Amino acid sequence: MAPNAANAPAKVTLRLRLYVAGNAPNSLRAIANARTICERHFAATHELEIIDLLKHPAQAVADGIIVTPTLLRLLPLPEQRVVGNLSDTQQVLFALDSE
Amino acid sequence: MSDPRALDIPGLVRQISEANATIQTMLSGQIDAVVDSARRTPILLSDAQDALRESEERYRLIVETANEGIWTVDGDADITFVNRRFADMLGYDPEEMLGRSLFVFVSDAARARTWLQSGDSSRASAEHELGFVRRDGSELWALLRTTAIRNADGERIGVLAMMTDRSRRRQDEAALRKSEEQYRQIVETTTDGIVKSDALARILFVNRRFAEMLGFAPEEMIGVSLYAFMSDAARVVAADAFQRRGQGIHELIDTSFLHKNGTEIAVNIAGSPLFDAAGVYVGNLGMIRDVTDRKKLQAQLLASDRMASVGILAAGVAHEINNPLTAVVANLDYIADSVSGTAEADASSMRPRGSEAWFQKEIKEPLDDAREAAQQVQFIVRDLKIFSHSAGDEPRGPVDVEATMESSLRMGWNEIRHRARLVKQYSSVPAVRANDARLGQVFLNLVVNAAQAIPEGQAQSNEICVSTRLEGQRVLVEVSDTGPGMPPEIVERVFDAFFTTKAAGVGTGLGLAICRHIVNDLGGELSVRSEMGKGATFRVALPIAIPEEPTTHAPEQQPVAGRRGRILLVDDEVLVLRSVQRMLAKEHEVVAMSGAKDALQLCAAGERFDLILCDLMMPDMTGMDLHGELARIAPEQANRMLFLTGGAFTANAQRFLTETPMKHLEKPFDPANLRAIVGRLIQ
Repeated sequence: MAPNAANAPAKVTLRLRLYVAGNAPNSLRAIANARTICERHFAATHELEIIDLLKHPAQAVADGIIVTPTLLRLLPLPEQRVVGNLSDTQQVLFALDSE
Repeated sequence: MSDPRALDIPGLVRQISEANATIQTMLSGQIDAVVDSARRTPILLSDAQDALRESEERYRLIVETANEGIWTVDGDADITFVNRRFADMLGYDPEEMLGRSLFVFVSDAARARTWLQSGDSSRASAEHELGFVRRDGSELWALLRTTAIRNADGERIGVLAMMTDRSRRRQDEAALRKSEEQYRQIVETTTDGIVKSDALARILFVNRRFAEMLGFAPEEMIGVSLYAFMSDAARVVAADAFQRRGQGIHELIDTSFLHKNGTEIAVNIAGSPLFDAAGVYVGNLGMIRDVTDRKKLQAQLLASDRMASVGILAAGVAHEINNPLTAVVANLDYIADSVSGTAEADASSMRPRGSEAWFQKEIKEPLDDAREAAQQVQFIVRDLKIFSHSAGDEPRGPVDVEATMESSLRMGWNEIRHRARLVKQYSSVPAVRANDARLGQVFLNLVVNAAQAIPEGQAQSNEICVSTRLEGQRVLVEVSDTGPGMPPEIVERVFDAFFTTKAAGVGTGLGLAICRHIVNDLGGELSVRSEMGKGATFRVALPIAIPEEPTTHAPEQQPVAGRRGRILLVDDEVLVLRSVQRMLAKEHEVVAMSGAKDALQLCAAGERFDLILCDLMMPDMTGMDLHGELARIAPEQANRMLFLTGGAFTANAQRFLTETPMKHLEKPFDPANLRAIVGRLIQ
């Protein structure tokens, strides 16, 4: 789920959680886009967790998720959310980089 | 990181732009699922969209295939939607109607406007009747159910209407009534009885025919067990049948019901089990055919079959007896003649004991007895012949009523003698045009019926009277008895086929029906009069025969002492040949031949005869064949033929005798008669 987390746990500065809905088209695209952006821009410092809404609805409700796909920035605070399939890279980077 | 509670303009701006971005994303279709936070479950948008599409499709299908016409109008009464059915009702395409005012399509626009505008706001829907105009100008009356369409503020923005074609519904109802009427008619007029019963054999329905069959009114039978209309034996059959019905078996069974009056009605039933929608056995349907008449007819056919066999046998026997009988009669006469002739010529040689008394006792009386006995055999054989004529070509000719009645009385004597005295009142009547066999059958039937009407054992106090008399151009023959007589309702039916008052096995009920048929066929009438306590009289009225037809049996008794002629005698029976030769040899020269071929050769060789006496039926070559050949080679000889017949005619022989002017004599013939005829012909 988060392949890079094991390599460099101490250096993590960006913790992300992506909620998807099974194999639905926007969800699959969101996963691909999220991985590409993280590899390119935060290669050594990120941790990406992907959660299937259909399998863990309770956790989604706890995180206040209304729709999928939704990308949550857990760290650094404040929490940020990006809704959609993450194909607008500029918009995603803006959200992840913002204070 | 700012305090979320602090008024942070840039932060606020960012939040707003984030929310905007979220909404944009959602609207741009990048969403897969939505979380239903109340139920804490995700909803896949693809599923929801499918459901929506399906639901839309379903409604569209309902609307388009509905039997009702469906349409909507807006607040200005312009049409916003019509389904195909509504367009079809009025003869338009749906597209032609969209956007046009509803009032264009109604027959009374003012009325339509009133109810559209005054639409009752308190009620969700209302019913109206409204006339529409079809494209072809004809009017359509429709029943409408309308619902107001309101916007979010509850404001009326249009009307939805569903309508049914009233005229069509009226037609449907009429068709249904007609179809029901048809079934009712079939059920009530069929010649089969119909009964429907429940699983416990209680009657739920009977048609009129079945009720009539058993002598009840249909209402009397409803609710009663079918078993109540059966004999014990039939109940056993029925119980078995009902059990099989319960197993779903359809079948035909032969059984019987009891009529209200106690008689048994033989029936053939086609039984079918009835099941409800759940497949549970709920009863029976039976189609019942009354086969009582058919059974009687079968019995009658068997009986008439037997009678026909007896007839054929009797005809054969009569034929076989006639030839030897002819020889017996001829020889007895010859002996009687010789003895008395010799007695006159030479008294001493023929009367050795010299006594007149001795001659009378030892010769004359035995000879007379033998002659009389032979005559009785002759009568019996003739009677047999009368009653055994085969059907088919039945020639009609002059028939002696009295002689025929005498034959019938002899045949029926056994029935008569223990019951009544026989009184005959014959007046001399002319011959009638009929067939002796058929007429004899009618007389025998009437005589036996008369006898059977009288109980056995009081022969002296009862009487059967047969009488004949002439009335205009008709001969009336009456047979009356002193039996108990018949009430009017039975008199009415005595000539009906199968009607009988006799015990089973005694009568088939066809006798009088057949008698009337035969008599009518002969151009006559058969009638009856009877009263209770006064016996019964049956009367046969027959047209008299046309006078110029001579009776073939008329005896010619005058002895003719004439010239000695030359006679050719042809008969295959040597006994007959010798007897007849002996009979005629004193007065004529007789050449006897035992075959027609020999006789033909003789004539072909130039021999000529004054008379040719010829047997009609012979093996090899018949008398008819001989006649044909002679007509070819020696026509004057053919005209000199006199035929001798022994009975059991073939149809050919019958036709030959009626169609040619040839004379014939029936065996066994009276010797004196034969001599007289021969003498006259040779003269």
